[in-house]
Amino acid sequence: MKIKFLTIFIAATSLFLASCGEYDNFDAPEFTLSGKVVYQNKPLGVRNNGPRFELWQDGYALRSPIYVYMNQDGSFSAKLFAGQYKLTRMADAPWLQQATDTIRVNVTGDTNLDVPVTPYFNITNETFAKSGNTISANFVVNKVVQTANVELVRLYLGKSILTDQVLRDVRVDGNVSSLVFGSPTTLSADIPDNLKTLDFIYARVGVKATVAGEYVYSQVQKIALK
Amino acid sequence: MKKIYIAFALFIGLTMNSCKHDDWFYRESKNTISDEQLWNDPNLITSLLANYYNRLPSLHGVFNTGGMTEIDDAMWSGTRDQNGRNDFQYGSDYGRYWDYGLIRDLNLSLENINTLGVKLTPAQKSLFIGEMRFIRAFVYFEMVKRMGGVPLVTKQLIYDFSGDPTPLQVPRAKESEVYDFIYKELEEIKADLAANNSIKTRANRYTALALESRAMLYAASIAKYNSLMAAPISTPGGEVGIPASMATDYYNKSLTASKEIIAGPYALYNENADKGANFYDMLNKKPVSEVIFAKDFALGTKVHRFTYDNIVKSMTEDNEASSAISPSLSLVESFNYLDGSKGTLKDKDANGNYITYTNPADIFANKDARLFGTVIYPGTSFKNSPVRMQAGVAVYNNGSYQLTTSAVLGANYTDGQVWTGFDGPKDDAVDVSNTGFYIRKMVSDAPAASTRGTSAVNWWPWFRLGEIYLNAAEAAFELGRPEGLGYVNSVRARAGFPANSISVLTNDIIRNERRVELAFEDHRYFDLKRWRIAHIVWDGTETDPNAVVMGLYSYRVVRPGHQDNGKYIYARVRPTRFRRARLFRMTNYYSSIAQDVLNGNPKIVRNPFQ
Repeated sequence: MKIKFLTIFIAATSLFLASCGEYDNFDAPEFTLSGKVVYQNKPLGVRNNGPRFELWQDGYALRSPIYVYMNQDGSFSAKLFAGQYKLTRMADAPWLQQATDTIRVNVTGDTNLDVPVTPYFNITNETFAKSGNTISANFVVNKVVQTANVELVRLYLGKSILTDQVLRDVRVDGNVSSLVFGSPTTLSADIPDNLKTLDFIYARVGVKATVAGEYVYSQVQKIALK
Repeated sequence: MKKIYIAFALFIGLTMNSCKHDDWFYRESKNTISDEQLWNDPNLITSLLANYYNRLPSLHGVFNTGGMTEIDDAMWSGTRDQNGRNDFQYGSDYGRYWDYGLIRDLNLSLENINTLGVKLTPAQKSLFIGEMRFIRAFVYFEMVKRMGGVPLVTKQLIYDFSGDPTPLQVPRAKESEVYDFIYKELEEIKADLAANNSIKTRANRYTALALESRAMLYAASIAKYNSLMAAPISTPGGEVGIPASMATDYYNKSLTASKEIIAGPYALYNENADKGANFYDMLNKKPVSEVIFAKDFALGTKVHRFTYDNIVKSMTEDNEASSAISPSLSLVESFNYLDGSKGTLKDKDANGNYITYTNPADIFANKDARLFGTVIYPGTSFKNSPVRMQAGVAVYNNGSYQLTTSAVLGANYTDGQVWTGFDGPKDDAVDVSNTGFYIRKMVSDAPAASTRGTSAVNWWPWFRLGEIYLNAAEAAFELGRPEGLGYVNSVRARAGFPANSISVLTNDIIRNERRVELAFEDHRYFDLKRWRIAHIVWDGTETDPNAVVMGLYSYRVVRPGHQDNGKYIYARVRPTRFRRARLFRMTNYYSSIAQDVLNGNPKIVRNPFQ
């Protein structure tokens, strides 16, 4: 009796197990699309998890975007299936929205793609120097979109590489009215007490256009304090 | 045996034959109600309306404990699985509302009552139609304030199977057109609604005016303040953004509606000489003088669990989950002192030393009485018993205070007196205040209101006179008219301020009044949006006391032999459970439109930043 029960049980179980072989053997996406957001072949600094791209794929009844967020240095990556994708540059970013001007991406293997954007402003020639308890930043703000206006120019200090408008310890506002595009500007900030004891801190400059929701930043600079 | 079969067959045949009365098949159903029955029976229509009233939308309203902890007025101190409310940024879909199911139900009802409701008297019919159009206007207002201009659908959309769906693809109206639609609808129905004037829970003439007052104020301030932004948020087709030139007209419309209500049968609730208790009673006791339109609750039939969620820890009558809403220090400090000075609490003197207070509540003395009515702070009482709030003791040691807290709530310190009170506050704890404050407003003091078996029945105020006064004040101020001052001073006098406490009105005063008078009533998120300052107030700065929910912990001084021994000091803290400063981005001014809506209707324009 017991053997009969066991036989039936095993047979039934194996039937159940055998029957669910259909649906969960899709492969995970295997290819990586990676790259940087660039202007004039130079990567732009952004807020980590701030601006984003959308990837779309045609040929399906229902459309929904794949969001691609950027790291603070402007790099991004996404795991994808092979196929044709359309990449759009969204608003809520420090560059012009080009929602209809898509970039076609053909993913057949690991793909590297530098996405050109038109930032309202960009920051070049940035140097950071420490003298005593002060960090001073020298940089040039360039106007890229001629109709854009500067709302804020800011210097940030932080204790991690993720330093930006949201995550930071010190923020110093620059004088927007005296800002001259294309000429060197200086901003300086005192290192606060809670950062003084650290081995190193991070500094960064950001510019916000009035029409943009996000800042464009210089790359993060690590500054040794000791 | 065979005979039995034959007899049986005969019997069957005979019985089948006998039902030759056809009408037997056409009896009225006992368990479904036909459209003709529904639309000719006022009782059935009223119960259908109850369904619609129950579906009126809100974002943080109708005792939405969780929603109330997602702005700068409070943080979440309840169960850890909802700590995301303290650790999030507003997604681009935050507040998305696109309820064309409800709009369709209302349009269907409006068409059916017109065609089928032949036995209703004209007065009944116009009243019901007015109520449904009010609800529809209310729903469109909720959509426009969250999404911007939305498709204005005022009749059923029925597919004709022609293969061409374009007649069903209604494009978005301009943002201003939706507000104009709301105004026009309310103007048309307000006379028909007068029969309901004595009812607080159904739309009446003054309810329509109250919605008008609020909606027109929103439209006006969007028109004005959007245009004042460095880069106004708008779409080329006007689906988002209202031209600045329309502001004056909207402010006028709002002010006219507000004035008509103020001249109506209402009065600011002022029946308790204790102004703080009076403010609490105003929302707890269902006063007919103040509240214009409410969602009512009744024991045994319809209850809510706001009291269960939020009652002070030691006073809960249930065994789980109390004290979810912990009001913020910035809210408490926005209540000014009665002498007119700013409400910043005096916890330290100019040299950075703690100021000591004899009683725990002394630091809150002489504040706007609405603070008592809104927030429970150390040293006060609830349901006639004192709350047991004390974060810990401050032991004087080597020239400074060491702040210590006990591991368990309600424990005694080595001197035999309270260490940490049973009501906390306790940092990083569950179901006890994490900021040093509890909410009092709208938390019912009725017996067993905090049990899940009985629950609370105090009502939700959709519109009340206090708001209308402030609407009128803001509209008058924006129009440069002098009467705004009187409205603000009336509201402040009810809160315990001396008569004419303000002599010069400013935007900041009006905005602060709205924050303290209307806290937790689903206004602040939308107020900051329409003034276009949400991205400045909630800028995500981890050190900003507005973007971060801060707390204030009280400590008993242990310093034997010194005059300060046994007194109280206060420390500002950032609660550990509050993880991320509020960050409102430009994209949050208008919630993103869902992808399935965009998929379904190619004429829908995306919102800016989407």
